[in-house]
Amino acid sequence: MLIIFIRTLITYFTLVVVIRLMGKRQIGEMQPFEFIVTLIIADLACVPMSDVSIPLIYGVVSILALFLLHQLLSLFEQKSLTVKKIISGRPSLVINKDGVDITELKKNNIGVEDLLESMRTSGYFSLDQVDYAIFESNGKFSAMESGENPSASSLPLLIVDDGRIVKRNLRFIGKSENEVAEFIKKQDGKLKATEVLTVDGNGRVYMKERNRKYRICRIELTEGLSW
Amino acid sequence: MVKSIVSMIAVAVILTVGAIYETNFVKKQFAEFSVAIDCVYEKVDEKTATEDDVYALQKSWLEKKRYLHVFIPHNEIKEVDLWLAESIKLVRDEKWEDALSKMEVLKELAEQIPKTFKVSPENIF
Repeated sequence: MLIIFIRTLITYFTLVVVIRLMGKRQIGEMQPFEFIVTLIIADLACVPMSDVSIPLIYGVVSILALFLLHQLLSLFEQKSLTVKKIISGRPSLVINKDGVDITELKKNNIGVEDLLESMRTSGYFSLDQVDYAIFESNGKFSAMESGENPSASSLPLLIVDDGRIVKRNLRFIGKSENEVAEFIKKQDGKLKATEVLTVDGNGRVYMKERNRKYRICRIELTEGLSW
Repeated sequence: MVKSIVSMIAVAVILTVGAIYETNFVKKQFAEFSVAIDCVYEKVDEKTATEDDVYALQKSWLEKKRYLHVFIPHNEIKEVDLWLAESIKLVRDEKWEDALSKMEVLKELAEQIPKTFKVSPENIF
């Protein structure tokens, strides 16, 4: 029993560390340690149930050990903010007044496309529609609407993602890589330093460069282009 | 909060008491079984063992394994069952050398199985 307990303990904490390192996109509405319980409890119950060569008590002990660990972590989490930060992490501010914070996104293994997806799920289609966006410690996405709240009439497409041109979207805006690079240059920027650049169907550009506040500008689109 | 703490303490107590009981129980059962094996082993070694001696050993094992099934993987129990069954046949046929080697395996099993319950790195990893 003690061995099963120790083995469960090691597995549990290994999973807590791994899930924490994986960032927020793996969690989805649960704290990391709750997610782990959900992840392994089914297997723990299933294996001794279906494999008659394993005593049932092996599954029961593991489940009780998990329960004990889960309760202990919940208790520590409630008692100490430091423990809470270590176990569950903290919310990540991925969009602030300056625009998208790519460093914070990277810390959580989230790409700009994932951010755009989360925003769309929340009903925001353009990055400048929100002043602040947060990935909560349980992986949920929260956004605070911009005061100006420019309503998006056309879906913005991601053209530059962390200094790299997203080639598959170029055909929608009818521009080549060189033309995009040229456009960035005209805006007094550099492609490598451009963290995010989106273009919507009206030619409205959201451009965020490293260490600079985001800018809204316009790009001339070929007539007849729409999406 | 109180409910949480009470449930945590209850589970901790169950696990601790269970672990202590399990270790002692398995150790005791196999210690008794080892003594019985030694007895039959000596008789086999002296070529005085009878089929009934091994049957008696098997009967005591069957009694123990009813409860050992709760703690020990059933395959390990099955292994003891098989070696015992073979021993009966060999003693019946008075094949002492072969019977002795089977008894040796049984002795080893009775010694090794409780060791798998010890808290040691090789058992944990």
